[in-house]
Amino acid sequence: MSKGAGADAGLAGATRLPGRAIAAVGLLAAGLIAWAAYPLSTGRGGTKPAFAIAIVAAVFSVGQLAMRSARTRPWDGFSPTDRAVSRLSELILMVPWAELLTIAALALEALHPAPPWHTAVLGVALLGYLLAVHLAETRAGASALRAQLPLLGIGIGLTALAVGVAALPGLPAGPTAALIRAAAALVAVVVACLAVPVWLGRR
Amino acid sequence: MRWTYSPHARRLLTLGLAGLVLAIVTRRPEFAGVAAPALLVLVTWPADRRDRVSLTANLPAGPLIEGTEATVRVSISGSAAFAAAVEVEPVDGVLSGPAEIVPAAAGEQDRVAGIRLMPTRWGRYSPGMVLVTFTDRFHLTEGRALVQLPYINVRPNPARLDSGVVLSRLPSRLGEHPARSAGEGAEFYGVREFVPGDRQRRINWSATSRLGKLHLSTFAVERTQHVVVIADETTDVGEPGSSSLDLVLRGASGAISHYLRGRDRVGLVIFAGRLSWIGPGQGERHFHRLLDLMMSAPGGWERASGLTRLPRAALPPGALILIFSPLLDPRLIEAIRDLRERGFSVIVVDVLNAEPRHDNSRLSRLTTRMWHLEQQAIRYSLTQIGVPVVHWDGVSSLNEPLAPYTRRVLVAHR
Repeated sequence: MSKGAGADAGLAGATRLPGRAIAAVGLLAAGLIAWAAYPLSTGRGGTKPAFAIAIVAAVFSVGQLAMRSARTRPWDGFSPTDRAVSRLSELILMVPWAELLTIAALALEALHPAPPWHTAVLGVALLGYLLAVHLAETRAGASALRAQLPLLGIGIGLTALAVGVAALPGLPAGPTAALIRAAAALVAVVVACLAVPVWLGRR
Repeated sequence: MRWTYSPHARRLLTLGLAGLVLAIVTRRPEFAGVAAPALLVLVTWPADRRDRVSLTANLPAGPLIEGTEATVRVSISGSAAFAAAVEVEPVDGVLSGPAEIVPAAAGEQDRVAGIRLMPTRWGRYSPGMVLVTFTDRFHLTEGRALVQLPYINVRPNPARLDSGVVLSRLPSRLGEHPARSAGEGAEFYGVREFVPGDRQRRINWSATSRLGKLHLSTFAVERTQHVVVIADETTDVGEPGSSSLDLVLRGASGAISHYLRGRDRVGLVIFAGRLSWIGPGQGERHFHRLLDLMMSAPGGWERASGLTRLPRAALPPGALILIFSPLLDPRLIEAIRDLRERGFSVIVVDVLNAEPRHDNSRLSRLTTRMWHLEQQAIRYSLTQIGVPVVHWDGVSSLNEPLAPYTRRVLVAHR
């Protein structure tokens, strides 16, 4: 039996692709790879393999989201081509590409000599990428992350603190260093002010 | 129900651990800062999870018809603190819409999800599985419950038939078809001379004044008709969804519903691996009995004997026999000849819309041509013994192929 000719458009339209969310995931993935890898020539040994892995992971993570959204089933056939397509589909659906991209991007950043703020920006971009993947996967709107916002804010504050900590030893004495120290102390106070209500709220 | 990390939590954990490991290995504290937001969100991992969840799926009462929509209601009780997402994984031949969860009312624990389903094939089967996913407010943990939907009875979509075939000779039972004899009816039959005892209200005044003697109008008697539908389920060939068996069942159910609506007495014979039948009857209950028999009859894969002679109890004398068949089983051809020899008025609706596959080799073309000739010979031989064979493609209504026989009464030859 097959699907009837008079299939209701409302029922058939239930599997609509969350196109914008997937596009956002693709753009974020491309951006963070470029951010972590540029310039490619200054990287230590292993940069190029990490770069290649990151690109593959980014492409397949987008493909995985599209396949899951379209609810396509693995290809069913008997010819060698059909079986190869089937294996590739299963591989794309099975491997955690987003995690692989996260590790590859961080490895690329570690292989480059980069200032602490550069790493912090990458961290924020990675967080945004993972949240975009989650939204595309669950087809939820951005409002689904409302509960996590205070925690994410605190976390980004901690990132800023870590950047400050990393930057402090290398600073020369002077008004700039004093300003950065004051900013780091201010960020610590803001993070504490945000963290305490959240922690109390959980209790 | 099993609770696990959500994919979102796994990804955040990867980011956190990778950042910490790189911070230690490279001695760069900014990597610890990269890990901080992810680890902070993971700290909110909910410890209190309820394991027992009750799911109840309610299907609409009564049988469904292929191509029509129905709503399945899934009630979820327990784990009220977690958001629930209901997803349907329909089997092939069933379309489903998105599930819409109605939040629990004040003082109630149950949440209800309404899922729209449209079965596009007939039969008795489970329309699919319902997957309920519970998530906490931070989307870190997931509980999944997979439930199979109960079996549904989906009846074939009846073919449209607006006017039926009526025989010239009808049994003497009160009905709605005007017969070829005078009696108590509504349709004008003729004029005859008045005899004492006739009802005065039926006096035809124009004939009386013209002829100078009292004349009165007579009316045709209204009688019922016995119709026996024979559904040939011995073979199933053709494209799924419009195979010969699909067309047989759709055509037979269309004919049954049309004649029962016209208050005729309708019986059903299922010609399959074994013979099943219900004698002619009337009414809504009888309609459901006939369709239940049609759905429950086994397929025609077993080769039983004794099918060529249809039972006398299932075929009242003078009945109209409507046969829906691809005419591929020689036993049915023999049975049709037997029916005709016994004096029944038989009409065959041919539902064969497929032919054997062939490549372009000479032998293949030859065998296909022989097959076509054989099929033509079968139909011609039936026509020669007074059995009209009409072809129905399953797309149009039954009105078109049966039109030559529905415009006037079918004269029953013995």
